Amino acid sequence: MRALIIDDSAVMRKVIERALRQAGLELSEVLQASNGEEALQTLRDNQGSAALALILSDINMPVMDGLQFLEARKQENLAQGVPVVMITTEGNESFVLRAIAAGAQGYICKPFTAEQVKARVLPLLRAA
Amino acid sequence: MANTQDEAVTRLDSAVAEVFETMLERSCDPLEGEVDTVEGRIVARIQFTGAVDGECLLYASQATASVTAEALLGTPSEPHDPMVDDAIGELCNMIAGGWKSKLASPDSNCSISTPAVTRDGLEGYQAKFGTKFSRNYSFQGNVFGVVLAF
Repeated sequence: MRALIIDDSAVMRKVIERALRQAGLELSEVLQASNGEEALQTLRDNQGSAALALILSDINMPVMDGLQFLEARKQENLAQGVPVVMITTEGNESFVLRAIAAGAQGYICKPFTAEQVKARVLPLLRAA
Repeated sequence: MANTQDEAVTRLDSAVAEVFETMLERSCDPLEGEVDTVEGRIVARIQFTGAVDGECLLYASQATASVTAEALLGTPSEPHDPMVDDAIGELCNMIAGGWKSKLASPDSNCSISTPAVTRDGLEGYQAKFGTKFSRNYSFQGNVFGVVLAF
């Protein structure tokens, strides 16, 4: 299984990857991006590769934030069938609604436990 | 104003405890009194804009920052490891976000910036906001401080 983790913090990318592995996901490859623009390029570069199973994205990031990434991904029709889960400190309802309207299927607030990641992610992977 | 500050302190204590228990699997308690000045103090800053204008600063020594990075990552950090600054920035981010999320609407409708981390210490720092307080915390003997101004 391949996943893409988008967060401007390298520490948080590692923490999220560890939580996914603790959730029992067998990750063959974890792609990483530090902002939305890098993530879009990663998706473009990997269009011919084995399909991604999951995207996890922060919202507050420099260059291009997570909500802008969702909109741009939709416009470019990149990885449209891949579930996206936002992992962010922005727990405000308006951010949640905007993210879901832009195509996110899940939302996790930092701080989070591995159990919370498992509870949000596994049902999406089963449904995909 | 006293009530506003008391409520802000309670929210901050709660946010700090939640971040440590959830992400670092450690308890973290407030300390009374000032933290001794530490050379090379690492400072992370998050700004609030919108319904609340202000900032949250978290400051720690290199030793405390290294322990924090190790606790977050579950692996030892190297000397001068950029992950150490990153960890302090992310810790500040989660504490500031937790504090913001505990505000009642409409104050919670504010944006928070990405963290900026420096090694300049807090010398000369002056808050530009009406309410400001400092709070010190300790986890397993490691001490850090948080300044909240809004």
